[in-house]
Parts: sequence; structure tokens; C-alpha cells
Amino acid sequence: MNKGVLIFAHNSRQVDYALMAIVAGGLAKKNLQVPVSLVTDESTLEWMKISKTISKAKTVFDKIIEVKKPVTSNQRLLVDAYTSKMVPFVNLNRSSAWDITPYERTLLIDSDYLVQSTNLSEYWDADSDFMIAPSMNDIRGDRIGVLDKHVSETGIPLCWATTVMFTKNKKTKLVFNLVEYIKDNYANYADLFRFNPNIYRNDIAFSIALHMLDGFEHSDYNYLPPVLTASGKDVIYEVMDNKIKLLINDDMSEDNVVATTISKRDIHVMNKQSIVRHAKEFMSLI
Amino acid sequence: MNFGYLIIISKNDEVDYLKLAYALALSIKNTQREGYDKVALITDDVQSVKKIKSPWVFDRVIKWDKEKHWDGRSFMDELSPWDQTICLDADMLFFRDYSHWVDYFIENTELYVTPKSYTYRGEVVTDDYYRKAFTHNELPNLYSFYTFFKKDSVLAKEFFELGRYIIKNPTEFKNLFLKGYKPKIIGTDEAFALAAKILDIHDEIAFDLEFPKVVHLKPMIQNWPWPASTVSDHVGFYFDLNAKLKIGNFQQHDIVHYNEKTFVTDETVSILEEIAWKK
Repeated sequence: MNKGVLIFAHNSRQVDYALMAIVAGGLAKKNLQVPVSLVTDESTLEWMKISKTISKAKTVFDKIIEVKKPVTSNQRLLVDAYTSKMVPFVNLNRSSAWDITPYERTLLIDSDYLVQSTNLSEYWDADSDFMIAPSMNDIRGDRIGVLDKHVSETGIPLCWATTVMFTKNKKTKLVFNLVEYIKDNYANYADLFRFNPNIYRNDIAFSIALHMLDGFEHSDYNYLPPVLTASGKDVIYEVMDNKIKLLINDDMSEDNVVATTISKRDIHVMNKQSIVRHAKEFMSLI
Repeated sequence: MNFGYLIIISKNDEVDYLKLAYALALSIKNTQREGYDKVALITDDVQSVKKIKSPWVFDRVIKWDKEKHWDGRSFMDELSPWDQTICLDADMLFFRDYSHWVDYFIENTELYVTPKSYTYRGEVVTDDYYRKAFTHNELPNLYSFYTFFKKDSVLAKEFFELGRYIIKNPTEFKNLFLKGYKPKIIGTDEAFALAAKILDIHDEIAFDLEFPKVVHLKPMIQNWPWPASTVSDHVGFYFDLNAKLKIGNFQQHDIVHYNEKTFVTDETVSILEEIAWKK
């Protein structure tokens, strides 16, 4: 069974997702020792040529798969340390991963998920067709709210589609088809599952799909490890010697930050601009 | 095998416990295997039982009026007509076959009082909002709503006798054993927990198992980020024509201890009756 990593990246005017994908893809390729493919669109590819990152992309990615950029009015709050702004967010085609992937066994990761260990390699041969991260672990440990754990206050557990591993077969096709259906009827599902429908989140769509396929009860699914996460308020201030040094913010006060170093651990860096600012340093690690 | 379930009720001006017991007995008949579906009802009002549409769901109806409300449940060992009994609260419903739990208890224990309960989302209840007396006094966390015992068990006899004695002498036991936090009332759960602690048998009668699974629908223990006065204020109860229950987004497969007595309506009963009649 051939296996590989798949990353989606659709640039917006504010965020260079393609550059992040090169970083994330390069790290995944180096640490997991498997090919990595990129799913992107024409305008993002154009920008990669203009910004001269295309040559690096060609060395990192096994395949660059061009798809039509989904049209969306989806917006998200882009937090960069003490600043934030609403920006367009193109994430509507994740459910097409099953059709697009060139691999029989795929690890689907977000472009802001930095693989720095071999941990996920342990799951390629796991006896499960579909696995997802069941939760997130805050890097600081004390900033997890109810809505980081559940789709809504009274609702189902929230899985994190930051990492998804699946085998391409009929069973997993059903999961992705259902995610697609939930996406297309997002407002209805928001009514049923009591979440905010204003921003489409793949995490929520996958969580609902799995809950429904499990018979509307919580079952002991085979899960990937929880996603270690640095929030948007945290900033990377140095990348060197395979270590990422971060300033971790205290939710209570902007002045209260703690310095920490992450090494040999996979991390979801939600401050996307922070990855972009340190892209050159990350490139040197690849 | 002479196994059966036991439900103990008494007349109450505010709640029609017979209706709740009837719904529970119907759900037992609808879901349990033959031989595991017998139900005995202990009541102070036998005449009312004759008025329900299908009194046959109670295999035995025994008149008993010596105690009222939950005090009566502490007499379960004396009142049960079965050799092996599971005593249940009236405000519960069954949703699938749990006979294999019964087999385990008959084979492995003389007495078992469940030490866990679950939220409607399937999480083990850890909040002690209603159980301060248990945590502050280090009492074993026992729930009397699902109690298995064998009639001929010396251990069970000793346990229930002490439980009754505690219920009859609450002040003495509160002063002696519950100094950390004194509950207003010593109910069956507190009495059972104290009895188990005094006899030092809680490892024997409440060892850790993955079953029985009972969903305890008290509002403050559902792992919600806000205080709640009833569960149904926050999540819907959806009871369908096949007598399947969904609470919020969660299909219920385990025993549901619904607490809100208005949950069982005439319509609920009628759905359960129809299934029982067709079985």
C-alpha cells in the first residue's frame, strides 16, 4: 500500500498558505520519510512562481495537484499575537481529499501543522481505516475552553481535523461523503448540533460525521494523538537546531508571556503569520 | 433461575410513581430476554395497579405500606420475591438487552451496588455537586438505583440491615461518621455508602466494572459550563415510536435514570404499551 501526506493550501491576500505548506510538507517529508503532495489552485501557483517558492515546492512535493479554488465567503479571525483581523478562509474542499489523494493510505495535515517527530509513522500500519485527532492539547496547558473540547456546550466531542489518516476504501468514502453533505447543509447541522454556523470548520464537520456514523453515541474510535497546539496569540521568535522557540501568551494579560522551546514534537502553530515570518529558518531545516 | 427486577413505590401527591414504574416495567418487557424480564412491584396501593392497561407487566405485585418514599428501598432484601434481584428506581427506562450483565452478577457476586453513573454524552460523572457528603467524608460512591443482591446472601443481609439502621438513626450516624459534611437527609445512597464503609466491604460490592451503565440525568453533573435546573432546559428529549431515546445529539443505549418525572407522559406509556402488545 503506497502512503503519503496530503496538504491543502489556498492563498488569501493576507496569508501565504502555500509557503506554510512548503514548510509543513518539508518537515513531514523529512521526519516521516514519505512523499508529500500539495493540493492548491491556479492563483496560488501563480503566487508561488512570483514569490519564487515554486522551485522549493517542487523539491518538497511529490505531486502538486491543481484544483479549482472553492468560492467562499468564509472568514476567520486571524490572530497574530496582540493583533487580529477577519480574513477570508478557503477550507471548503477538504472533504475532496479522498478523491484527490494519490495515495492508498493518506495522512492529511493542516498547512500549519509542523511535524518534528516520527510519532505519526506509528499509525501507518494501524488496524483502522480512518483516524483523527480526538482533541487538542494546549502548549501552555490551561487555555482549553469548552468549545475546544465540544462542538457546542451541550454537544458532541470536537475532533481536530488538523491530522486525519485514512485508507482509500468504501468505508472512508462514506466518511468524506458525509462531511461533504454536512458542509453543504451546514446551517441545518448548526441548528441540530447547536454550534455557530458563521464560520465553516472542518473539525466540526468531521466530528458530526463520525458521531453519526458511530450511531449517535460516543465510541472508542481509533484515534491519532491529540494535537499539541500553540494559539494564535503565541509567537515563534526563533527557529534553529531543530528547535522552535516560542513566546507563550497568557490569556489574562498581554504582558505576561512565557518562553518555551519545542523540540522533536509535532506542533500545530495557529499563528500563521509567525510561521511565514520564520519561513526561511524553517526552510533551512528541510 | 429465579431472577427478577424489583421496583418499590408508594403513593405520592406530586408524582405518579405507578406510571413511572409501569413505563419501566414495559421497557423491561420490551427489551430483555425471556427469563430476564420479570418484574415485581412493591406498592402501598394495589388497587391502582389493577386500573392500568397492562398490569401483566408486573409479574408480582406485593402490597407493603410500612415505609414511605425512599425509606422503602432499604427493605429491598426483605421484600423481593426473587432469589436474585436487581432493585431499580422507578424513574428509569431500559433501551436494549442487558441480560448479560445479570449473568455476570449472578455468577460472580452476592451483592453489587453500582459505583458509577454517566452523563447523556457517555462520560463518567465526576462532578460531586450532589455528592458533597461522599467526597468530604470519603464515602464510597454508591448509587442505589441499580442494586443486585442474592436473597440467601449473609453479606447482603448484614449490609441491608445496617443500611436500614442508619436510615432510622440518621443524626447519630451523621454526628459519628459524617463530620466533614453533614447532608440534610440520609437517603438510601448515603446509607448504603456508610454501611459499606463501616463494614469495609466496598471493594467487594462495588468493584470497578464497565457496567451497569446508567445515565444519571441530574442537571448539575452533565459537564456543562453553566448551572442548570433541569436537563430538558438545555437539551431535547426525543422519544420515537420505536421507544428509542435521543437526548440532545446522543442516542441512548444504556439505562436512563431520567429524574424529571414529567418525562414519562401518557404518550410515552402508549408507545411502550404498543410495542409490548406486539411482542
